[in-house]
Amino acid sequence: MTVKQYTVGVLSLQGAFKEHIDLFKLATESQHEKFHFLEVKTPQQLLRCDALVIPGGESTSMSLIAERTKMIQPLVDFIHSGKPLWGTCAGLIFLSREIVNGRPNQKALGAIDIQVKRNAFGRQLDSFESMLDFSGFIEAVDQFPAIFIRAPVISKVLPTEYNEEYITMKLVDDQSPIIRSENESVNKSKVELLYTLDNGLVVAARQGNVLVTSFHPELSDDCRFHRWFIQEFVAST
Amino acid sequence: MSNELKLNKGLAQMLKGGVIMDVVNAEQAKIAERAGACAVMALERIPADMRASGQVCRMSDPKLIKEIMEEVSIPVMAKCRIGHFVEAQILQAIGIDYIDESEVLTPADKKYHIEKTAFKIPFVCGAKNLGEALRRIQEGASMIRSKGEAGTGDISSAVGHLTLIKEQIAKVLQMNDEELQQFAKQERISVESLKELQANGGKLPVVNFAAGGVATPADAALCMQLGCDGVFVGSGIFKSKNPEKLATAIVNAVTHYNDPEKLLEYSTDLGELMFGVAIDQLKDNEKLSSRGW
Repeated sequence: MTVKQYTVGVLSLQGAFKEHIDLFKLATESQHEKFHFLEVKTPQQLLRCDALVIPGGESTSMSLIAERTKMIQPLVDFIHSGKPLWGTCAGLIFLSREIVNGRPNQKALGAIDIQVKRNAFGRQLDSFESMLDFSGFIEAVDQFPAIFIRAPVISKVLPTEYNEEYITMKLVDDQSPIIRSENESVNKSKVELLYTLDNGLVVAARQGNVLVTSFHPELSDDCRFHRWFIQEFVAST
Repeated sequence: MSNELKLNKGLAQMLKGGVIMDVVNAEQAKIAERAGACAVMALERIPADMRASGQVCRMSDPKLIKEIMEEVSIPVMAKCRIGHFVEAQILQAIGIDYIDESEVLTPADKKYHIEKTAFKIPFVCGAKNLGEALRRIQEGASMIRSKGEAGTGDISSAVGHLTLIKEQIAKVLQMNDEELQQFAKQERISVESLKELQANGGKLPVVNFAAGGVATPADAALCMQLGCDGVFVGSGIFKSKNPEKLATAIVNAVTHYNDPEKLLEYSTDLGELMFGVAIDQLKDNEKLSSRGW
């Protein structure tokens, strides 16, 4: 009997893509015949993927490079296929429907019906690490080192046929224009807010097959988050 | 590892596969951001002009740095002089994202570098060889870059530094305890840092970028193929006739550094590039890479 094999791609235009691949390999060590991990820089590589991760990096750089190298439409097609997606930090920003404090030429892919605020905590001096309890959605993971680097947060769940508008963060004095995705919402699930910090800021969410985190599990040496993504999103399909 | 070091190394990891560009005003910063730079380095003068001036070069005026920070949403770096920990304190007070303790500025201390562990803000430092890289990391640098001759447009010394570090790492991987002791003593580094390098299979504990003399998309891709994690571009972009086009091409080349077809496209019709100064034409005392100890 042949084992079903999965190819998980990591978008490798800019940012910490190798770190994701290293942790995925660690997380699936015992089943390395079943899972294959691929750096994705071209539309052809993306076509081979059963799931895609968009890593941390600079969200403006990533979006501009994707546009120039003709990756936007293939990414939109991938989203429409309903395959699993996970965005960390800059990846969260890229996958969102609306971006507050975005740059005029930055694209929002619209894979998840949320609004995100970039650099919500401030500059590098405001970056932080915190031990968080994720046992509410990952079994037994009650201590996880979550690393936030110039991190974005989820400021709003956007209204769709499946979601009611829900504002999680009041944007005070934010005059910057909002970048809105040109792509139609195709996600037929409800947005679940997975984790809220003590100060009320929402830093993890999922909508069906799409997962977003404003922190970087790929920078820790703990592979439990990656293992959960594989079990819950990839191998469950 | 301390919490801060982890966060500061983490920010450098976010810059990987990216291009950090020198800019001297808000307008250039905007061009860099539009081109897809993952960070900018805020300077009063680009290295080519500093080199030509023959004057003492210091930290930029905080007013200029603040203007650039307000203009762009990507991380902003700034340079302080080697050993000038007060300039670093000032940059930290501005709230800059990264400090480059740089040989491009006139060194303030001929013996010591800044004790970077005393700061919350991350530092990048130059290194010509493995010993220098590990000394800087030991002092608290959370990112390393080569020390190619800034402002020359000649890539040869950056290439030299990247390959030397690789060769030295390969040697360290073969060393026994006695040889490690000897190398550590000679390079003024701890034996532990070398043992750690061995345990990690030769992977440096921080990100290593190419810097100094990068003037074309091909130069940037060359450094990437030699194994660096990303690229700093100084004078090359804004000394060329068409900065926006060149900046964009270099960003694209760093993403697709292994694809000659794409590099061909990015290298074509860029217009007049920066003038060059061959490093061999410089006297030893004119070489900036000799600064740092």
